[in-house]
Amino acid sequence: MLLDVDNITVHYGRLAALRGISVTVEEGEIVCVVGPNGAGKSTTLLAISGVLHPTDGAVTFDGKNIAGMSPEAVARAGISQVPEGRHVFTTLNVEENLRIGTRMRKDRAEIEKDYKRVLELFPVLAERRRQPAGKLSGGEQQMLVIGRALLTSPRIMTIDEPSLGLAPNLVDRVYEVLLELRRNRGLTLLIVEQSSERALKAADRLYVLRSGEIQLEGKAADLQDGKRVRQAYFGFEEGVTHEGEVDF
Amino acid sequence: MDYVIQTIISALSFGSFYALGALGIGLLFSVLRLINFAHGDFITVGGFALIVPSSAVVATMAIGSFHPALLLVCIVAIVVLLALVSYFLVFQHVQNASPATMMIVSFALGYTLQNVIVMIYGGRPKAVNIFPELTGQVQLSDGVSVQILQLVIIAVTWVLLIALVLFLRRTQVGIQMRAAAEDFRMARMLGVNGKNVIALAFILSGGLAGIMTLLFVTQTGVLTFRMGVPIMLFFFIATVIGGMGSLVGAVVGGYSVGIVSVVLSAILPEELRGFRDACVFILVIIVLLARPQGLVLTKAAKERV
Ligand SMILES: Nc1ncnc2c1ncn2[C@@H]1O[C@H](COP(=O)(O)OP(=O)(O)OP(=O)(O)O)[C@@H](O)[C@H]1O
Ligand SMILES: [Mg+2]
Repeated sequence: MLLDVDNITVHYGRLAALRGISVTVEEGEIVCVVGPNGAGKSTTLLAISGVLHPTDGAVTFDGKNIAGMSPEAVARAGISQVPEGRHVFTTLNVEENLRIGTRMRKDRAEIEKDYKRVLELFPVLAERRRQPAGKLSGGEQQMLVIGRALLTSPRIMTIDEPSLGLAPNLVDRVYEVLLELRRNRGLTLLIVEQSSERALKAADRLYVLRSGEIQLEGKAADLQDGKRVRQAYFGFEEGVTHEGEVDF
Repeated sequence: MDYVIQTIISALSFGSFYALGALGIGLLFSVLRLINFAHGDFITVGGFALIVPSSAVVATMAIGSFHPALLLVCIVAIVVLLALVSYFLVFQHVQNASPATMMIVSFALGYTLQNVIVMIYGGRPKAVNIFPELTGQVQLSDGVSVQILQLVIIAVTWVLLIALVLFLRRTQVGIQMRAAAEDFRMARMLGVNGKNVIALAFILSGGLAGIMTLLFVTQTGVLTFRMGVPIMLFFFIATVIGGMGSLVGAVVGGYSVGIVSVVLSAILPEELRGFRDACVFILVIIVLLARPQGLVLTKAAKERV
């Protein structure tokens, strides 16, 4: 197991945002965590990346306990995070954004090759290499932060709501890229999504998180009809809402 | 005409000095959200480091009697060290607290430094004389002469500004620092070592303070334990006017404050000159009423609204 989040509890002050949740990711897998607003999805990723520290439980990465490590140490260990809201450095140009995470890499010879590959993957970034990243559109910024995370040469990439604020065709493109990266490079992905539909399409396995607790987990293949996922997601029985009434 | 040129040079030199001060504060604020009110006292400590520690009324030069180059290196090193020590001993332990808490801690640090100085050196002002050649006048053209030091202050400021810009734009570490200033958490998630970036900001800020010590003490020729306080007030105002967290803003703010105060002393009638600082503050209030975010808006400032 590459990443093992074991029974963690995370507090904001006295409020428990996560209450003993467990998530695992195998090497090469795509795992999605879905859930409604305020479920604790972002909190889960922030706890993995060392921004938040669990008050209980363990986070093990590649056999090493990383709970309590600093974000930079977690990044160096090989977990790259694309947080909610993109977070490009607007005053740095596109190339500076892309390269900033390469400084911690030890395989210096590989960096230029990876850099070229990222520009091939996102030709629009190549064109706008010298422009301040703040000038990019939302979709381009999403490409930029994915490229930036890739350039840290991560063992696992975690992404928080890659579809946030993007037009549907751009969301499709982002997921195409993510699936392609897994296919071609065996990239391991932990994706947070609000849309369970999207998650069911992309993921190998799925967790439904609500109110700081895991409500359901399973293989995406076993959950394709969506009924159990919807129930876990909303926390009430099917039939209270009519099929198709809830858009997600 | 001579008077106008002299006033312009004087305004630029005051402005430069305040710009350097505001930069020192802005550097720390941009990565740490700390408004370091001890910055002025760092300058004071650098000044007292020139002389032999004693409460005697007449100061005996120690580092102050070194060869100018060595003197510069020693004083800058001492102030940098002081800045670093204050990070590791003090600010590091409150860096997750609110900006208000950090600011109060910096006040406390400043008072502590002042009191330590009083304990070691006594509370009386001490005359010192460094770089005497700089306090002379230089003839610019017929009848127009200005103090050499004023030109030196302007030149030193621009050399430091250009060096700082090159560092922040052209070096990997500088780029990391800009990234951290814009989004500290994201920078760390990309492997940028947060502690190193902050320590570096303290080093740069301390280095600026060290150089300012020498400019200031050459100008005033006297050391007092509270000498950092009034100038710190002007640095702070310059920082606020320029827009917190923007280095361009710090420079703009520094020059605005310097130029306005010199121009006011030049144009205010004799009876009102004593109220010059009051007039400056009134202008500050007006600027902030019109542009609460300062003259230069940064992304970091926007996000905090
Ligand atoms: N910085 C914070 N301080 C206090 N409470 C917070 C903070 N961030 C999140 N919370 C709370 O923790 C809970 C989980 O938040 P989290 O951001 O992890 O949810 P989420 O599943 O990512 O939601 P969304 O889909 O809206 O992004 C929510 O109740 C939220 O209000
Ligand atoms: Mg979220």
